[in-house]
Amino acid sequence: MTVATNPRAHVRGGYDLGRYIAMDFRRNLRNVGNSFFVIVLPTALFLFFGASMDWSGEPVGVGNVSAWTMIAIASYGAAMATTSMAGSAALEIQQGWGRQLALTAMPHGAFIVAKAAIAVAMAALPVLVLNLAGVFTVADMPPGVWLATVALTIAGSLPFAFYGLAIGLSFRSDAAVGAATGLLVILSFLGNAFMPLDGVLLDIGRFTPMYGIVALARYPLTDGDLVSMGGAAGSDPLWMVLTNVAAWTVVFAVACLLLQRRRTTRR
Amino acid sequence: MVSESVISARDVRMSFPDGAGGHVHAVDGVDLEVARGEVLALLGPNGAGKTTLLDVLLGLTTPHSGDVSVGGLNPRAAVQSGMLSALLQTGGLLPDLTAGETVRMIAALHADPAGVDEVIDTAGVRPFASRPVGKCSGGQQQRLRFALALLPRPEIIVLDEPTAGMDVSARHEFWDRMRAQADEGVTVVFATHYLEEAEQFARRTVLMDRGRVLADGPTDEVRARAGAAYVTVSWDPTAAELARVPHVVRADREGARTTFRTEDSDGLARYLLTATDARGLTVRPASLEEAFRLLTEDSPATGETEHPVLVADSEEVSA
Repeated sequence: MTVATNPRAHVRGGYDLGRYIAMDFRRNLRNVGNSFFVIVLPTALFLFFGASMDWSGEPVGVGNVSAWTMIAIASYGAAMATTSMAGSAALEIQQGWGRQLALTAMPHGAFIVAKAAIAVAMAALPVLVLNLAGVFTVADMPPGVWLATVALTIAGSLPFAFYGLAIGLSFRSDAAVGAATGLLVILSFLGNAFMPLDGVLLDIGRFTPMYGIVALARYPLTDGDLVSMGGAAGSDPLWMVLTNVAAWTVVFAVACLLLQRRRTTRR
Repeated sequence: MVSESVISARDVRMSFPDGAGGHVHAVDGVDLEVARGEVLALLGPNGAGKTTLLDVLLGLTTPHSGDVSVGGLNPRAAVQSGMLSALLQTGGLLPDLTAGETVRMIAALHADPAGVDEVIDTAGVRPFASRPVGKCSGGQQQRLRFALALLPRPEIIVLDEPTAGMDVSARHEFWDRMRAQADEGVTVVFATHYLEEAEQFARRTVLMDRGRVLADGPTDEVRARAGAAYVTVSWDPTAAELARVPHVVRADREGARTTFRTEDSDGLARYLLTATDARGLTVRPASLEEAFRLLTEDSPATGETEHPVLVADSEEVSA
């Protein structure tokens, strides 16, 4: 082997991140347990609570209550998907896969990008399945609004990719990820996702992370108007909704970056 | 001989909190130069700091102080360029991928990888390529890790106890494959706690204990120092006779048997059997742990074997 110059010494990048993402996505999709809780469960929730209640056909904004419920449960499913994907990322770290990846050309930051992309792809699945279920039952919105809410629901799950990854990187255990996913039920409730809130709960809920993404996904339908058991109950201005989403995205993303730095350090 | 250094480490220090407010010095001022094409064994007992040192060489850990360069680059850049690669001690695999998928996935993350089929054949992964990693045996997983290490077509391979958990035949097969790499000019640095592995495979051995380098040189020489032996005979020598015995580090008497600790068991045995009336001679090689203890205890007295100390049961000392 001749040595004088090393032609590879300055090669950078060149790795195929897209191929890695595609392979890892397929691996996660094969995980039956994950797929059931992320796709089948929210769809069942919607068919039961969103499509077959007496008030499902009542009008809300430019659509109906069924659409209003569908959007929020899709947000919940998407957030579960991203959190659970982050959970598998945590296990990978625990098994030393992170050290294996650190021996490739892929830089540290690209790992986060790849995992976030996989999480969002997984999040798109429950959203698509739920919306198809909505199309074939009683949910109703103008087609343009429908497409806008689908796009916003998927985009809104991105902060939760960071949320799950941050939990996974901090605690490195199945149980912590389970707890983080379980917490989403409460956050979704506080986020005005399952039933219309008012009073103090609504005031608190506005500052929780699910509130922003649910309100954003519903915005094309409601224009920010709130739904209440007793009729219209005020309105959320767009800037407030966006501030919630942006603030929580920054919090989760910064947590990930800080935690990622100790990724390859041995325990 | 002109030897170009491909790995250069200067005064590397790394410590971890010991959980009681203090620090464990895992690597405590190590200097290491490895020439291109060299095969070097890093020999030491568990906890000697081998894995930490290798992590530093691979850029997986940043040392608290010291300089490391690999092929003129910092370790992380050397890894990214594909010049430097490693087979890690444990973990590092996803149980729900098949062996073949694992190779393909890691191949996607290298800038200029070798052919997936090529490394699968070279590393002997072919027979179980479609098996999930979680169902592969320890030896098979190690072959898979070897395949992953070959993917970037490295010029330097670092191995951390590569044969841990392998049976004898798997171990032989592994070293045969590794030797083929070395013959092609790949620089190999491997950590082991088997003296025989260093002897069979490495021309140079670095002996480490408690974060420090105890010896560094041709494996034969290091072996002579680390490979101390115990020679035991039935013999009842006088103090003067005992003092004339060559190659002795230390002598112990227990009843009618005398045990000599030596760095040259052949020379000592030849003398005992030809120049004295000692009988019933047995030779026992010192274990690696004993050898390390000898090296740490005896370092100031190296080679000073003319005046062995007699240590015996108390009654006989008075005689």
